[in-house]
Amino acid sequence: MLETWTQLMGGFATAISPINLLWAFVGCAVGTAIGVLPGLGPAVTVAMLLPITSQVEPTASMIFFAGIYYGAMYGGSTTSILLNTPGETGTMVTALEGFKMARSGRAGAALATAAIGSFVAGTIATVLVTLFAPIVAEHAVKLGPPEYFLLMVLAFLTVSAVLGKSTLRGLTALFVGLGAGLIGMDQISGQVRYTGGIPEFMDGIEVVLIAVGLFAVGEVLYNAMYEGRSVSELNRLNKVHMTGTEWRRSWPAWLRGTALGFPFGTIPAGGSEIPTFLSYATEKKLAKPEHKAEFGQKGAIEGVAGPEAANNSAVTATLVPLLTLGIPTSVTAAILLSALQNYGIQAGPQLFETSSKMVWALIASLYIGNVMLLILNLPMVGLWVKLLKIPRPQLYAGILIFATVGVYGMRQSSFDLFVMYGIGLLGLLMRRYDFPVAPVIVGMILGPLAEAQLRNAMSIGEGRWGVFLDRPASVFLLVVVMLVLLLPRLVRLWQGRRGDGTAVV
Amino acid sequence: MDRAAASAPPSHSSHDRRAHWLIALGALGLAGVLAYGAMSIPSDAGYAGIGPNFLPWVVAAVLAACGVWLLWEAFTGGFRQLEEPSGADRGDWSAFAWVSAGVLANAALITTAGFVLSCALCFALAVRGLRVSEGKPGGGLRQAVIDATTGILIAAPVYWLFTKLLAINLPGLTGTGWI
Repeated sequence: MLETWTQLMGGFATAISPINLLWAFVGCAVGTAIGVLPGLGPAVTVAMLLPITSQVEPTASMIFFAGIYYGAMYGGSTTSILLNTPGETGTMVTALEGFKMARSGRAGAALATAAIGSFVAGTIATVLVTLFAPIVAEHAVKLGPPEYFLLMVLAFLTVSAVLGKSTLRGLTALFVGLGAGLIGMDQISGQVRYTGGIPEFMDGIEVVLIAVGLFAVGEVLYNAMYEGRSVSELNRLNKVHMTGTEWRRSWPAWLRGTALGFPFGTIPAGGSEIPTFLSYATEKKLAKPEHKAEFGQKGAIEGVAGPEAANNSAVTATLVPLLTLGIPTSVTAAILLSALQNYGIQAGPQLFETSSKMVWALIASLYIGNVMLLILNLPMVGLWVKLLKIPRPQLYAGILIFATVGVYGMRQSSFDLFVMYGIGLLGLLMRRYDFPVAPVIVGMILGPLAEAQLRNAMSIGEGRWGVFLDRPASVFLLVVVMLVLLLPRLVRLWQGRRGDGTAVV
Repeated sequence: MDRAAASAPPSHSSHDRRAHWLIALGALGLAGVLAYGAMSIPSDAGYAGIGPNFLPWVVAAVLAACGVWLLWEAFTGGFRQLEEPSGADRGDWSAFAWVSAGVLANAALITTAGFVLSCALCFALAVRGLRVSEGKPGGGLRQAVIDATTGILIAAPVYWLFTKLLAINLPGLTGTGWI
């Protein structure tokens, strides 16, 4: 406990150096901006900025990237409330009630509860990260390759098979990602695979290329082809403040949202969508009778406060598995992992030993960043709203310029720009035919790590698959994997038998 | 979430059905390529019993299975539990062509024309496409000049930021590092 405190104070000492403060601030500002702008998310933004890892030292760039990640959640709510297109997937639910509140002239209250709720949740979640991450890391040291492999399988399954609507399309996407991850030199034996004789492929395909192609170029193409006639209306912004009643209605929702979001961030459940939906459902259920009628009508403030807290809490919590196990539970976390890989830093339980200075500076910067974001998003919200006035053609065409910086800047190869276009076409198809994109990225980044763990595990077992049954921890994880695979199907089957064909999964 | 879409029998236009087909075939084709590549990877397994060709074969096999399953779905009424895509029913191919031209021209020209000019061209072409997609006129020469200038005004500061401040290599038209 005391040790944690000393470490954290050391982290603050690093984080408040002027240059790190500047990185945190720029990260928070960029995060808020891309959160506000439709069409750009934190994952692709961090991916586009990965080239800076060749120049900027790890602590500063992790502080910067983390600022973008949670800053996007703050900014995303602004768009969800004012515009009827959500800024980020994690803020989709906010749009349900937030947009209605803004319609009935309560935009200011909705923005206030979103920003303050994000702050409360982000700060509580950071405290939890501070307390639990070292403990998890301490225990994680005992995990061996079999357990790591199963944890990664779990991450694959939840991100592909459980979350999307169609398991088949999720799995297809996952294995396309795993296939992309195979390209290059094999980690264990150094065997070169699938390079087609192209020397650039020896180090594997750059994550930037895939992420920017799928998310940025695919999104721009999709917009040009299909969204031209979609109109969006902008709600009017009014004074950002909450009445006493609104405060009283908000704070329990914030706390409940935080409590719901944190556990979901730590398990591989694909980020912040599920907890926000759960929080919304909870708030709707728990609302006082006199407020219940506001849901879906005038807009209920609980329906904004809860999910906003939940998504920030979940985002912060993703740092626990990322830093202590090296397992990303969301797309952005996966890209953060590959940023660490660019530095040759192995995320995992040893990280708290080997890079403790960086880890604690990062955690300290979360506290600081949340304060910065509260200021950026409450008094200065009017500034960000101006971003929503950028005309759509200029906005999306501008995204292409940033995509070029990311992809070209990574490897200085114009061939990559052609590949980026090809991947953009794939992204367009996936978007149109409802294939999830997240499994591709997670599969590509986590695939090689999972393969290494699998082969190490098999080496320990001297070629016996039974090695996965040798230790209680791996048996437990195996059971969890089975449950994750089978439970949704059993539930569906059971509901189907009851004659209730409309299973909600 | 969307109960109606999940329980209703799939109903897709013939246009969509053809795409489902092609996507399924694409997955099968990719599986084929991966399997072909896996044949030339040695199986030297050592203690592990599984070597560097193990995962390639697994990926190829599962992708093939997914491809077959997708093909079956495409044959029997189209993909299941399909979320209705947002936006228009039919794609705007001229907008698509403008944006594609922008991205590809950028890829072709960036090393010779430099980052700023190449990106400005990409921006101008893409903006035109996106404007066309909104049903507005693409604009004449005057508009094209305005778009290109806007492109330069965005690309140039980005270029300076990354090359001067962050020391990341981006190609220039001249060696000065300013354009």
